[in-house]
Amino acid sequence: MQSSKESQLQIRLITTQEIYAVPDVPLTVPSTIDIKALNQLLNELIKESNPDFLKPKEYDFLAVGEIIRLPLAEHLQEHNVSTESTIDIEYIERIPAPEPEDSILHDDWVSSIETTDKWILSGSYDHSVSIWTSHGKPVAFVKNHTEMVKGVTWISKSDITKGFVSVSHDQSGIIWEWKEGTKEVTPKIHLRGHERGIDSVGVSPDSTKLATGGWDTNLKLWSASLEVDDSGEPSTKKLRGLGKGIYTRVPLHTLNGHKETISAINWIDNHTVCTASMDHTIKFWDCELYGIKNEIIDQKAFLSASWSPLSNTLLATSADRHIRLYDPRSNEGSICKSMFTSHVLWVSCVTWSKYDEHLFLSGSYDSTVKLWDTRSPKAPLYNLQGHEGQVLAVDWSNNKYILSGGTDNSIHIFKNNVLH
Amino acid sequence: MGKQQKPLKRKLSEATFKGEKSKESESSQDSEEEDLLKDQIIEDESSDSEAEIDESDLDSSDNEDNEFAEEESEEDSDDLSSADNSEDENDSDAEDEDEEDSDNSEDENKIGQESGGPISSESNTKQIENEDELQNSSHSQKHKSKAKKSHEKQVTSVDEYAEDTSDEEDIRNTVGNIPKNWYDDYKHLGYDWDGKQIVKPETGDHLDEFLKRMEDPNFWRTVKDPQTGQNVILSDEDITLIKRIKAQKIPDVSFDEYAPWIEWFTSQVEKMPIRNFPEHKRSFLPSKSEARKVSKMVHALKMGWIKSREEQKKIRAKKEPEFYMLWNTDDQADEMRRIHKHISAPKRLLPGHAESYNPPPEYLFDAKEMKDWNKQKNTPWKRKLHFVPQKFDSLRKVPAYPRFIKERFLRCLDLYLCPRAIKMKLNIEPESLVPKLPSPRDLQPFPTVLAIEYKGHTDMVRTISTDKNGQYLLSGSDDCTIKIWEVNTGRCLKTIKTDSIVRCVEWCPNSALSLILVATGNEVLLINPAVGDFLVTNKTDEVLKEVPHSDVIISDRIKTTVQWCEPEQELFDRGVRAQLKHFKMVTQVTWHGKGDYFGSVMPDGQSRSVLISQISKRRSQLPFAKSKGLVQCILFHPTKPFLFVATQRHVRIYDLIKQSQVKKLLTNSKWISTMAVHPGGDNLLVGTYDRKMLWFDLDLSTKPYQTLRLHGTAVRGVAFHKRYPLFASGSDDRSLIISHGMVYNDLLQNPLIVPLKRLEDHKSFNDFGIFGVHFHPLQPWVFSSGADGTIKLYSN
Repeated sequence: MQSSKESQLQIRLITTQEIYAVPDVPLTVPSTIDIKALNQLLNELIKESNPDFLKPKEYDFLAVGEIIRLPLAEHLQEHNVSTESTIDIEYIERIPAPEPEDSILHDDWVSSIETTDKWILSGSYDHSVSIWTSHGKPVAFVKNHTEMVKGVTWISKSDITKGFVSVSHDQSGIIWEWKEGTKEVTPKIHLRGHERGIDSVGVSPDSTKLATGGWDTNLKLWSASLEVDDSGEPSTKKLRGLGKGIYTRVPLHTLNGHKETISAINWIDNHTVCTASMDHTIKFWDCELYGIKNEIIDQKAFLSASWSPLSNTLLATSADRHIRLYDPRSNEGSICKSMFTSHVLWVSCVTWSKYDEHLFLSGSYDSTVKLWDTRSPKAPLYNLQGHEGQVLAVDWSNNKYILSGGTDNSIHIFKNNVLH
Repeated sequence: MGKQQKPLKRKLSEATFKGEKSKESESSQDSEEEDLLKDQIIEDESSDSEAEIDESDLDSSDNEDNEFAEEESEEDSDDLSSADNSEDENDSDAEDEDEEDSDNSEDENKIGQESGGPISSESNTKQIENEDELQNSSHSQKHKSKAKKSHEKQVTSVDEYAEDTSDEEDIRNTVGNIPKNWYDDYKHLGYDWDGKQIVKPETGDHLDEFLKRMEDPNFWRTVKDPQTGQNVILSDEDITLIKRIKAQKIPDVSFDEYAPWIEWFTSQVEKMPIRNFPEHKRSFLPSKSEARKVSKMVHALKMGWIKSREEQKKIRAKKEPEFYMLWNTDDQADEMRRIHKHISAPKRLLPGHAESYNPPPEYLFDAKEMKDWNKQKNTPWKRKLHFVPQKFDSLRKVPAYPRFIKERFLRCLDLYLCPRAIKMKLNIEPESLVPKLPSPRDLQPFPTVLAIEYKGHTDMVRTISTDKNGQYLLSGSDDCTIKIWEVNTGRCLKTIKTDSIVRCVEWCPNSALSLILVATGNEVLLINPAVGDFLVTNKTDEVLKEVPHSDVIISDRIKTTVQWCEPEQELFDRGVRAQLKHFKMVTQVTWHGKGDYFGSVMPDGQSRSVLISQISKRRSQLPFAKSKGLVQCILFHPTKPFLFVATQRHVRIYDLIKQSQVKKLLTNSKWISTMAVHPGGDNLLVGTYDRKMLWFDLDLSTKPYQTLRLHGTAVRGVAFHKRYPLFASGSDDRSLIISHGMVYNDLLQNPLIVPLKRLEDHKSFNDFGIFGVHFHPLQPWVFSSGADGTIKLYSN
């Protein structure tokens, strides 16, 4: 131990963030150096090289593609890297901790959330859909569904006028029209065709198509436009409380292939949908040829999934405490690239950051939300606490805010200070 | 033949050389005749070396004789002629028998007769030449008899029968047939019959011999008898005989060689065969048995069982010389004959100082030690020494050891009765007796961790059930409510109040009906939970609205047991679509697999304790006329029209179509609590209040295939998974045990049962633990409901 304490390591600090650049000189540090000491060292170096240096900052250090959490020597040992040669250590500015900002209280469990730059859309178990400002002020509240709302999504985040869609366990979905900023929310189109409750909904990137899936195991594709074409007919009185001018829309196509509930839908591009199901499979559907393109088979029932167009990878959570990262295009080795384990109960929801290819959020039944970096699979970056029950939905569509909703009837808003 | 031959030879030699001996004369006339007969039988074989040698000796002596004979005086020739005469006489005697003698002999005879003395020497030489020719002659029969005759003439005075009648052996010298030169160094030649030495006769020196040769006219016919060492003078007959033998004539002069041929058997080839039947076929065919023998040998040669001589030689050459220990015990322990692997007894310790008759004083007991010794009188095995050391002045004064006999006896007993052999002990580790079960890790998936808790009930949850898709969970509790939960989130979707505690709930297995069956108090309720597909829910309502009217008269027995009632408005609003009022408390309800029939159990109902009702016809039946006991639980077979009825101690299986009992399963337990049937229908799991779980393989026997004693207290709930090879049991000890129960399609393979996991999360309440156990219909997850009012979901 004595010798290992005294042993030295050659490191070279590099970065991709130019403003924090330091001279490319190999440094000799004790092998037991930890993040704190590295931070100090780096700040000193920056101070020397950069005259504009104002105040020390916190950095994260990456070696061998993973964020260093342990003393450097142990970290290297874990990855079986020789300590003989010079080690490149990349450093990045540490993502600052999200700050809890606000809490929006609902009447019942919050099942789904989606945000734009200004607005928060949420669906609840009390059959209602509500819109809030990003600061938590209620804007609109509608309750046209007859069963709990399971999914809500904006049809276009950039163009609010395209409306939003909600799906519910009353076996239908509604496309709503909303005049931005007002209370006026009008159900426009009634999506009918599912035989059991709908659990998930997804909008294609070009905002023209919808995909829904639920307990009847079918994936249904719909047109997402608010315009009523001739085929649609005015809704009959079957749906109570729906006003006039609501048109019923039938699915463009029904894709069946899953054996159990479809729990998550993600559009990969305009022609491909990825569905995660409780039957232990993730399927990739071709929406032009209407067939299965690809399939991932695992051992557990999938509860949610999220696709990142930035890294072209899929995160999925199943009925256990792990989050798995899949690369569906990978040919070598297993499709599952890494596993993130820190939650203690089922992870009910997961979502990628829309702006950073490494960051994602997860919410679990253990009432915590965790912020992860894919380069740090052993431990999350931050634990966002505050919920008192299961977390059912997380959202990070707006980079500024991290939102989570759960069975404590509230949406918790955390402010994210990273600006891209 | 050999036996006869030998004495004959002996006789021949005797006859040839020892005619004059008194003992020789013993042979009688009778015996001669016998010999003759024998001689006839013996033919040419009788040329023996002895005779030859003797004859050659004779020759040499004859030759010597001849040399001298030419210079000899008349006397000699006279003697010779007389001898010739005697020969002639013999010849003349023989002439009667063989008239045509050889010319040579005649010539000789004539010469002998005519020439007389001087010529006789010539004739003698001629004779000797003839004798030389005769040397290899092998005929000796006749001359022997002649010799005998001559003996007779010479030694008639001796009574041949006086001493011994035996002519078989030469008994003058008893040393036997040994080389005579062994006695060369001795004075005697051997021993006579009385054991006296036969002393070699005095032989003069060469001068004496020379004188003898010169003087003795019979010297040429004198030979030495090796048996006695005496000189014997050959008679004329003997000489004749020798001559004849040398001339290769038949020794017997009287034998007629050319006697007329008597044809005993015809020499002509007969025209007719003697046996007038053809040769058998087998004489033309190669012998099969021989062929078999040959083939066997060929085969053996091929296989190498038989080795040819060359091969054997090679093998022998190859083989290294084998050495072996002459004394086996040098390198091996002595083996006891009867005792296998004997261990020899340990050697006794050598006596120590204390045992000495004159021990050093420190070994003698002082007062304290003596006291200790005496104190341990009753426990002698605890003493350090088994005797008291004593001191004696001298060895003489040492008394006899009083315990000697006893100790020796005990020692013998010890050695004899306890043979020290290595005892073959079966070393069985207890672990090896446990059957090899696969590791639980290989039997995944199965529920292992608590995933979701369903909280909401305020009292014990006795019963749970799920819908067919595994979307909803149904629970009935002692707080008089039924709750419907969303499985994946744990949200209570609906709460339906009942009038009394809920003892059993079950979701309708028919997916076209949205119905749950609830046993509460004396009633069985059919409730539409109104979750899931609207269409199904509405259709169910419609179907149940129409009450079918039938003209079938319901018997009083059934009427008094159950009444179908339309629910009141208040109940209808709660979701109740039909109400069956029973006459006793209903503890259990169960659906038939198709969802039209259901059974209900009233343990106190005596003979009416089991009731089967049909929804579509709104009719009930009492399948049993007699009470078989306290009915605990009933179940429908998943595929066949069978009904399992568990009474307090037995499970009976009834065929509902044939209306007969198929089987009676003996549980051998005090009280059955619950049971579950494998989805295949051939295996039944029974839980009992006496802590057991019994697995019945209905194909095997009426006794449990396996009894699982996994729980510490009464087992209250058992369940099979519909898809995975899993079963679970819940008990009052708060533990839920998940087990692997694989049933193979192969009928020969017995089910594999492996306990996998014990889950203890429920809290105890009033000494109750877990009541209901139910598997998720699709996932490898299990629900358990407990007395603590919670339901827990365990996932894999």
